[in-house]
This record gives sequence, C-alpha cells and structure tokens, in this order.
Amino acid sequence: MATIINANATSKTPPSTAPPVEPLNNDAARLYTHIHPVLVLSLYAFSFSSLVADPASTLLNTLAPLAILQIAYVAVCLPPTGGTPTIRKQKPGEKRSRVPSKLENGLNGKIVPAFLSLLLTALAATPLLTAILVLFGAPVTTHHPHTLLCGAHVALLSTLPLVYVHGVNGETWRQVVALLLPIDEVYGGLIGTVVGAWLGAVPIPLDWDREWQKWPVTIVTGAYIGYAVGKLLGGTLLKGKKIMFD
Amino acid sequence: MENGEVFTPLSEITGQKAKAKVDPPKQQAQRLPATKTDPNKAKKIGQVHFKAAHGIIVAFFTFILILHVLGIYLFTSGFLLTRLVLDHKSDCAVPPIDSANKYTAGNAEKGCWHPKTFKKAVVIIVDALRYDFTVPFGEQFETTDVSSIANDPAGAPPVAPRHFHDAIPILYETAKNRPNNAFLLPFIADPPTTTLQRLKGLTTGTLPTFIDAGSNFAGTAIDEDNLVAQLKNASKRIVHLGDDTWHALFPGYFEPNLTHAYDSFNVWDLHTVDNGVTEHIFPLLKAENTSKWDVIFGHYLGVDHAGHRYGPDHPAMTAKLNQMDGVFRRMIEEVDDETLLVVMGDHGMDAKGDHGGESDDEIQAALWMYSKKGLFGRTDSAYATPPVNAKVRPVGQIDLVPTLSLLLGMPIPFNNLGKPIEEAFVGAKGTGLENLAIVNRLAAAQIHRYQHEYAKARGLAESTRSTSLALWATANEAWSSLGKSKGNSVQMKNAYEAFAAYQRDTLSICRALWARFDIPRMLSGVAILASSLIVLALYARVLHGDRSEVTPVFFTRGAIGLVLGALFGFGVAFILPGEPKEHIVIVSSAISGVVGAASTFYSLSYRLMSPIPNNIWGWISVIFTLALSAGFAANSFTIWEDEILLHFLTTFGVLAVISSFRQKHVADRTLGIYHSILFTVLTRVASFSRLCREEQMPYCKSTYYASALSTTSAPWQLIIPAVAALLIPTFIKSYYEGTKSYQHNATLWIGIALRFGLMLSAAYWVLDAADDSDWYPGWENILRTTKRLVAQIVLAISLAFGYSIYNWSKPLLNIIINESTDEVGAPKEAITILGYANVYGSRYALLVTIWYLAVAVLQKPMGAGSIGVLVWQLFSLFEIIDTNNLRHSSIGPVVLGLLGSFHFFKTGHQATLASIQWESAFIPLAKIRYPWTPVIVILNTFGAQILCAVAVPALVLWKEKPQKKGLLGMLAKAVATHMLFYATINLATTMWAGHLRRHLMLYRVFMPRFMLGAFVLVVVDVVSIFVGLWGARMSILSVAEVFGFGG
Repeated sequence: MATIINANATSKTPPSTAPPVEPLNNDAARLYTHIHPVLVLSLYAFSFSSLVADPASTLLNTLAPLAILQIAYVAVCLPPTGGTPTIRKQKPGEKRSRVPSKLENGLNGKIVPAFLSLLLTALAATPLLTAILVLFGAPVTTHHPHTLLCGAHVALLSTLPLVYVHGVNGETWRQVVALLLPIDEVYGGLIGTVVGAWLGAVPIPLDWDREWQKWPVTIVTGAYIGYAVGKLLGGTLLKGKKIMFD
Repeated sequence: MENGEVFTPLSEITGQKAKAKVDPPKQQAQRLPATKTDPNKAKKIGQVHFKAAHGIIVAFFTFILILHVLGIYLFTSGFLLTRLVLDHKSDCAVPPIDSANKYTAGNAEKGCWHPKTFKKAVVIIVDALRYDFTVPFGEQFETTDVSSIANDPAGAPPVAPRHFHDAIPILYETAKNRPNNAFLLPFIADPPTTTLQRLKGLTTGTLPTFIDAGSNFAGTAIDEDNLVAQLKNASKRIVHLGDDTWHALFPGYFEPNLTHAYDSFNVWDLHTVDNGVTEHIFPLLKAENTSKWDVIFGHYLGVDHAGHRYGPDHPAMTAKLNQMDGVFRRMIEEVDDETLLVVMGDHGMDAKGDHGGESDDEIQAALWMYSKKGLFGRTDSAYATPPVNAKVRPVGQIDLVPTLSLLLGMPIPFNNLGKPIEEAFVGAKGTGLENLAIVNRLAAAQIHRYQHEYAKARGLAESTRSTSLALWATANEAWSSLGKSKGNSVQMKNAYEAFAAYQRDTLSICRALWARFDIPRMLSGVAILASSLIVLALYARVLHGDRSEVTPVFFTRGAIGLVLGALFGFGVAFILPGEPKEHIVIVSSAISGVVGAASTFYSLSYRLMSPIPNNIWGWISVIFTLALSAGFAANSFTIWEDEILLHFLTTFGVLAVISSFRQKHVADRTLGIYHSILFTVLTRVASFSRLCREEQMPYCKSTYYASALSTTSAPWQLIIPAVAALLIPTFIKSYYEGTKSYQHNATLWIGIALRFGLMLSAAYWVLDAADDSDWYPGWENILRTTKRLVAQIVLAISLAFGYSIYNWSKPLLNIIINESTDEVGAPKEAITILGYANVYGSRYALLVTIWYLAVAVLQKPMGAGSIGVLVWQLFSLFEIIDTNNLRHSSIGPVVLGLLGSFHFFKTGHQATLASIQWESAFIPLAKIRYPWTPVIVILNTFGAQILCAVAVPALVLWKEKPQKKGLLGMLAKAVATHMLFYATINLATTMWAGHLRRHLMLYRVFMPRFMLGAFVLVVVDVVSIFVGLWGARMSILSVAEVFGFGG
C-alpha cells in the first residue's frame, strides 16, 4: 500500500490516483489477456440456450467456470495488489528465485490474492450489486435466486479483477466508485460490465414474446458483452483516460 | 454545509441591514461607497427593477404557454376524428326504396316503412351492464376451466365465481326458457365507451367520433336524425327516468310531468338514481297509466357507480345486480302485451370497474328484449341458448336503432348504419326469412341513401365506395331475382345475406372514413410545437449569461410577431375564403411569434454556446429525455413507462452517488452520498405502489387498491396517510434544521398546520371507510357530511391559510446574541444569524409543502403515501443538487420531470382514460361544481407533476447565498428547462400518435399517451409560471426586504 498516499480529502488539489494497471510484462500474460474475453464469451455462448431455458440453475452452474476463468486471468495477466509489474519484474531477477520456489511464489503472490478477491467478491460485491439490481427494478417478491445469481455474475466479471489489483484500500475504492481512476483494462471491464447490464434492461419490456426476454437473461448478456467490450477498449483505445463529470 | 456556516456571524453579511449596526467602524467605512444612496431608496429601486424583470419573464413564459396551447389545439383538432353531421331527416312517408309486398308507407299508426310490431316500448339502460354479468358462471366456465386446469395445473386461472357472477340471472333464464318471449345477446359498443357517446350511438345508429369525447362533462343536444326525434315527430309521448345526460342530448323531448332526471356524475351515490327510476317507472306500467305514454327510457346508474367506486368484484356489485334482477322480474310481470321491454348496457367496465377505452371488457355490454307476444325466434336451433361469451353472435349497439325503429313502426333515422337484429324479425318459428330480407333491404336502402348524401356533401369520389356500390347492386339483383314466388328459399336467404353484406361493408368504409385525419392541421400543430420547442431549448440551454437581461427582447419580439402574424392571418383568411380561417390565423400568428422570438438569437449570437452538452449531467439529461421520447414510438415502452422511469431515476441516483464520492469536501461528500442513496431507495419504495394497466398483465400486480378488481383501499392502507402525517413533517423539519432555518413561520406551518392538515386527511379516509363498509349503520349522512367537511378544511388550511403564511412570511431567520468575554476579559457581544445559509431555499420550499398538503388530501390512501415519499425525495434532491453544485445544470429540472411522471404512476394513474380517478371530485364536494370539480380532478391526476413543477425554483434557491447575483436569470433557466422536458415529451408523443395513426394500438396506447402529454404540458406550464415563478417572486422580495437585492 505504500504507493498510495491517503490524500487529504479537504485539500484543494485533487487526490492522486493510482496509475492505470499494466498487464504483466510476459508473453503468457500478453497472450492470455486477449484469449480470456474470448473464453468468457464462449462460456456465455455455450450456456446460452440452457440459460434461456432455465436461468437460475444455469447461472449457478456457470458460476464456478466463470470464477475459474477470472482467477486464471488475474493470476496470469495482472499484477496483484501492492506491487506494480515493473517492480515485480525488476526485483525477482536471480536473487529472489532461489529462496522460494517458483510454484510457491506464484501461489503466495497470485493464487492466494486471487482467491481472496473471489471471497471479497462473493461476500461484499455480490450482495451490493444484487441490491442495486433490486433498486433498478428487479423483482422483490419473486425470482430471488435469479437476481442473486445475476448479481454474482456481474460481481465476478466486474469486481474480482479490480479487488485483485487494487486490494481493499478505502481511498482507492472511493476513487473506484467515484470513477476517478484512469481507465485500464480492469477498470474498463468494470465500467463495461455495468453499462452492459444497464443496457441489458432495454429489451425486457418489448412485446416480442421471446423466451430470452425473461429475467435476468438480458442483464447477464449485457454484462458479458459489456465486459468484453469494456476490457478491450479499456486496455487499448481508452487506456489512461479519465472520466470527467463536469 | 458545514456546521460552522450555520451560525453566520452578522459581520459576514453584506448589504443593507435594517437591524442593529454591529459592524466594526472600519468595515462600515469600507462599505460606505456602496451604500452612499439612501438604503431605502436603493431597495425600492431594486424592488421595481426586480418586479419588472420578473414580470417580463412571466410574460415570456406565458408566450411559450400560448404557443404550446395553439400547437396542441391545432394538432388535436386534426387528430381527434371528426364526422360531418348531415341534417337530413328520414320521413315516415318517404321510404328509401319501394315497399315490398305492396305495403303502403307513410302511416305511423300502422308502421311507417314496415308494419309495426309493438305499440309501446320500455327501454331500460343499465349503465355498464357487462355481458358476462348476465350469463351464469356455470355456463361461462364449465367447459373452459377443465381444459385450462389440465394444461396448466400449477397456474390454474382464478375461476371461482366473482361477486358479479350469477347476480342477475333473470335475463339469461327468460332467454333460455322462453326463447319466443326473450333473447339475450352480446351488445358491442363502439369506443369511446363513455355514456354520452354511447347514448348518441344508441339513438342515432351511427359511429361516435372522438371530437365528441371532449364534451362528456357538458353534453350538447343531438341535432342529427335519431330515434327519439322520430318518436317525437310522430307525436309519441316519451318519458325519461334516470341519468340526466339524456336531457342534455334531447332537451324538451320528454313528457315534463312524468319525467324525472337525476344527476349522473355523483359516482359515490349508488342508490338515488336507481331508486328514483324504480319509484317512478312501476306506476306508469299500471293499466290505468299506460295510456299516458308511448315509450319510456329508463336509465339506471347504480351498476356503473358501484363499478367506479368499488370495482366489479365487490359485494356492493352483487347487491346492485340483485336489485336490478328484482326490478326486471317485476317488470316482466307488470308489462302489458303490447309493450316491448328492452334492457341493455351502454358499455361494459374493465377489471377495476372503469370504462372509456376500447378493451374487450369495456365494449362488451348485454342486450335483452322481452315481450309477451312471443314473436322472437332464432335462425338456427343451435342458437336456442344465449351465447356463453361476448365473442359469440354479438350484435353492434348501432343495430338497436333500426331494430327499435322498425319494431315501433318508425322510419329508420337517416344516419343509421346498423342492421336489424335477426332474433326480433325472424318470427317465432325462426322461418321468417322473407321478413328478415325485407327489413334488411329497408335498412340497407336507407344506408345507401345516406351514403349518397354523405358522399355528395363531402365531395367524395365514387371510387372510395365502389366495392360497397357493387355489393348494393348484387343485393338488389338477388332481391329482384326472387320474382313473385317469395317463399322461404335459399334465394331468400341469399338476398338477406347480400343486404347484410352491403351494410357490413358500408360500416367498415365509414369506420375507415371517419378515422380520417386532417393531416394539414396535424402538421401545422406539430410545426408550431417543434419550432416553439427549439426556441425554448435555445433559451434554456444554449443561451449564455443572465436570462433576465435579455428576456425583454425575446418577449417583445415574440409578442409583436404573434400580433402581426395574427393580423396577417386574418388578411389571408379574408383573401382566401375557402380555407378554414382559424387554421390560417393560428398558424400564421404562432409561426410569426416563434420567428420573432427566435430572431433574438440571431441578434444575440455572441451569447450562444454550443448546443452539445459539455458535461456528464448535460449528456444524461439529454439521454433521459430523448430515450423516453423515442421510446414512446413503441407501444411496449409506452406501456411500461413506469418501470422505465424507475430505471432512469435509479440511474440518476447512482450517478449522484458517484458524483458525491468525487466531491472534495468531506461534508459535501457525506451529505451528498447520504441523500443520493436515500433518494434512490425512496424511488424504489414508492415503486411498490402500482396500478397496472391491462396491457401490463400478467407481469404486473396492482397494489394501489385492495385488489386488482376493486377501487377501494384495503383497511391496512388507511395507516399510510397517518404514517405520512406523522413522519413527513418531521423529515421536512430536519431539512430545515440543518441550516437552523426552522424558525417562526416554519414552525407554525410545518410543525403545526401541515401536520394537522395531513392528520385530517388521514382521518378523511377512516371516515370514508366507515361510510363505505357501514361500520355505523344509520350514521351514513353524518359520516358523509363530516368527511367532506374535513377535506374542505384541509384544502382551506393548505391554500388559504398556507398561502397567507407564505405571502406574508418574513425570511426564516433568527438572531441570537451571545454575550461572552474575550481573552482580556472585556464583555463581547457576538451576534449570529440563524438560517442565513438557506435563506432563499427555506423560505421558498414552504410553497412546496403547501401544495403538498393540497395534493395529498385529494389522493387515495396509497397515493398519499406516494406523494409523501415524493416530497421527501424533493428535499433530498435539493441537497443533492446543492452538494454537487448542480444549480446551473439541466439535470435538476429534468430529474424533477422524471420524478413527477414517475409519481403520476405511483398515485394510481396510467396513461389510459379509464384510470382517471373521477371520483376524487367528490372528496371535498357533494356534487359537480364548476370550476372546482375539474380543478380537483386535475390536482388528483397531475398532483405529482404539479408538486415537481413547484419544486423547480427550489433547486436554484436551496442554500443559495442572499448576495447571489442573477438569481432571476437562473430561475428562468431552470423553469425553462423543466418546461422543455415536458415539451419534448409532448412533441414526441404528438408526433408518434400522428405518425402511428393507423396503428392497431392507436386508441389504446398512443392516443391516450398523447393526450396525457399534452395535458401535462399545459398544466406544468401554468403551474411553473403562476405558482413556481410567482412564488419565487414573493420569496425573493421578502428576502430582499432584509438583505437587499444581490444583483
């Protein structure tokens, strides 16, 4: 957490924000960061017909594969919280690799934070996002598993990588919520997922009488597509840009 | 606001002060140049300036209002369908075609065109007698419910008998058991299903058009040919009993000694009309009195009123239908052999007991005829029992006119389009096909004559009716091919069917013809609305700087344009006499007014900014408004508008949370986050109040009333107004206390009067429930008088007492003097002013709470809760706008527009005619009184939009500093933006309704939404100008009294 200075909230200068997240500088990371959204979308496409037929159980069944994909993605491509890729790249060199084995290092440095992120996503982000879904008009008296699982999917897509790279620092998360961070592929993924889920509500009221209009298929669809688009744009075109409100 | 600012030291306050001078002399000296002139004189000059500038702004917005009204008027007059009324009358001596069977026409005693069947008739209308009320439950559902349960065991439809089932079996029984004496048929009304329009259709035999729909509150005499006029012409003595709408339609037609009319609009009175009809009708049926009359029209209203008040599924409906059942059993006994007894509904009712639209339940009425002669028959033995539902063998309501005319020996009214009903003419054995062919030939010939005259009068080409002319020729051929041998042959049937086919075709041509829109007028209307929208948009969002400085130019040029245009229009109309004058004058004055106002932008081009929004709030305002407007092109989005508004408002709430998180000051941030979350959660809480429209089924569950089939509140809902009365004033108080603005008049109003008024309005609904459910039998009259008195007191508290307080209130300030000692121990006086931080906002927001009380008392219990939540949200919104510094942004006025529209739905309304809560007119009044009744219904219907429009100036004034310059310009900007939102929605719904005028859903979805949009725009314009801007004037003047004018 040393890199983040807790800015004085009342000071006139805007508080400093974390730099955009750079994916790890190795070939596996560079390759997998592009394969990952394809895999995520494939997961969605593969389960689409059963999602339409039985949303709740399909969402439950795809939860684990999605979590694994996301964990794999963050472990392979992203720097865990507390370190930037450049530091990480310079330091290990030859000195460090001797003491802890590579596997152990990977486990401690990546898999454990990834699972911690998963835990936080499940315990904090999922209820919060479910509550937001309800605020936006999700049914309150019925479809509880549907809404909760939809919230879980949105949380896995949007929040898990973000927790992995930013940890749990309060000020950072204020900036996350305030849309003050510069855009990168992780933050872009979050924004894309949320905007996609928001747009996903549009076709619900139409009188097309399609099976896929049922709750929450369109929201999940929007979230998945939004995630892929947001991650792509965030990592390329919009990288480093900031969202201006005024 | 940080706590420190609440206690504002007087020394920080600049400007002229009437109070004690406590400033150190040094500061006094510094300010001297500014106050060189006499402060009172400066204040006076400031006042005059302010009043003038304010007056001009009011005038400018009134100019916009006039443009809106002109545009809406032109579009509406071209869009709401019109029909040319022909003055021709059918003549007893002039049948439309040569008589069959050598019958000599012209003798009204024997029958004008055809031998008459009955001498006398008793025609009873049971208002809103839906067809399924009359058919036994077992007949309707026996067959269907087995299969539906088998198909769908889990979600078996609720097939248990409702309160309206099996309550009036007499009609079905007689039709089934004595088919020669009686028949019962579904009787399909042509929309609009309002009583006035239906009576026109039932007596003229033609289709009502929508231009009539507006005149329901003040009926006008029918001047086209009709059955009642024909009877009168033939010197028949007509008696009318019941609904007084008849007298508006047929003034002076009825026997004055025997006729008794009753007020028709008091929908909360279930019995006066019915008891009056029954009381007077039975003596007339006695043998000694039958010579006094020829035809009786009786109109019962109890069923309709029970529907409006309680909904069909209520014990009151059972009781009412049972009463009707008894009445008809008695009539069957007492009516003599020569008299035809007709019972019919003029329309049905929807699931909640309302009507006006064109849903199946609203158009499916029942028709029953009875006579002791035993002349009725069926063309097929399969028709022996009455149809199980209204889809089987229905007849049109226009068919009544030719049927009754011929049965009573009258000529068929000239404009009739209906066909004689089979059962009445086919004979007891069902073999009288010849008679059937003859009467259909007569009816068809009259239709042919009418069509000829109509085409001539309208200048229509023959081609438009070539198919119907061909059918006419075929039918005549079939008729003449019968030759002399007119037996019951297949040929006879063919002839009958050929004439019927001609009638059917003509009817459909007429439907299409009268669904013909006046496109030039519609286009002119849209052009006026669109161009005035552009002016308003430029004024509200693109113009830069203080609007109060430039508004005089806009107004002057606009007004001059308007007048010159009108003069020019008169000139053109004079030169071109062929064109409709009023159209030309309106278009030329409105367009030239717009051009005049818009020319100012040309002169002020240096003050124009880019129209592209420059921040996220501008963008989101545009997206909300345009997305909503575009959505009205789809019926689904129109139907689900309430959910879309929830989505948008929550989106705003989330963005407000995000924006609050971005704030630098911790106090702003915390307060902003708190109020944003509160706002969002309250939106969702309010969304639980729902009144579903038919099209939302089965995905929507109504919660507004006790059940989906009722219009009364459940007992637990009576708690809601009481809870609101307890909590809402406390919450409002807390918003005042944040800036220590809860001072003198605020304590009097919010602490006492508002709370007391809300308590009273909660008490109203308890009294109402006591009256409704007969908790205290025998006390009804006292309960009724008391509850009305209570409602009147609340309105007086709000609009009389509240406005007086508001008008004469000083700013909500208080001064405290702290005596203390300074470091050296010398006594020191520190004067602080409480309430300084929100001097404008706290003063103005009183107006919102005053109107809150007036609107709340006119809502049903659930609506009172929704309106309470709305007021709470308004104050949260003020805080959000302040902490995020969005006073200049368009988002505040736009969110108020969304919020007003949202709570329109949450107060039990929908964009349908049937959802208008007419009965709210009787909350404070016992009967219809102009102009109060329409005002009350408007306050009930548009209460949410009205409150939001009143709240617009508070967005700007809340926590604004007294020294702020250009306040008036900011107010004008906010009000213009708010009007712009509704003007955009109105333009969109207008254009979609015009564009989709051939759409299947036009009358169900697009036209009601257009009417809503137009109505709301005018209401919001008026409220914004004469309540909002005028209230702001009072508030600012009173603040300036203390602090002088900032600008």
